[in-house]
Amino acid sequence: MASSSAVERLQALESIEKEIAAVLQNAGLAVQELCKDKPNERQLDRHTGQFLKSLQDVESGLSQEINYLTQVATGQPHEGSSYSAQKETQMALHRVEHAKKRLADLNTVCTQGPQQ
Amino acid sequence: MSQQRGITQSKESLLKSYNKRLKDDVKSILDNFTEILKAAKVEEQNQVSTLTQSDQARYEMHVRAANIVRAGESLMKLVSDLKTFLILNDFPSVNEGINQRTQQLKAIQAECDTKLLALRDDMAADLYDLEEEYYSSRYK
Repeated sequence: MASSSAVERLQALESIEKEIAAVLQNAGLAVQELCKDKPNERQLDRHTGQFLKSLQDVESGLSQEINYLTQVATGQPHEGSSYSAQKETQMALHRVEHAKKRLADLNTVCTQGPQQ
Repeated sequence: MSQQRGITQSKESLLKSYNKRLKDDVKSILDNFTEILKAAKVEEQNQVSTLTQSDQARYEMHVRAANIVRAGESLMKLVSDLKTFLILNDFPSVNEGINQRTQQLKAIQAECDTKLLALRDDMAADLYDLEEEYYSSRYK
């Protein structure tokens, strides 16, 4: 099963949101066309076709996402974390800071001489 | 071979409710749009006068248009709920994210330690001279 990353899925959901807005816009354009004194049938057909197509896209996109979630979701919360690696990195940075401080002290002693 | 993991009852009913919301909202948009187009048809004189008829049609169209907008907003909310659910429960991508972060942090830690070890080796050589200078001075 090809699994796309979370970023791609979220971007797909973003584009579905834009598509929903397009559904409403196309519906509005179709009705607006009807309001005119001389409605252009071809325009009306075009807007209605676009409305139906975008609605179909929204429905298929969302069912796809819901299907994917049906396959990967469990009832348990995720309990993994990167805390241990974070702690070790923090300690390594502390070691570096400590070494810097001691070198700075040594530099002071070497340049200014010992304090009596 | 499909590997279906066991989903708890609440998760299954939640996903079913998402499906139901999707179908209901799409059906509502389509039905209301169809009804608006039907109501736009000019009819012959009926029992009520043309003015009343057109008032009624206008009111009906307002209501149906509001229904379409409501269904559209409900779909937006559904997308937002799906995004939240995906971020929290999409275990493959959460695991991948955690692994990437762990590797990043381990790389930083390894680099720090390598540089500290190189520093130690350099200092060992320099300390030799420093110690000689110190122990042969009058300040020890």
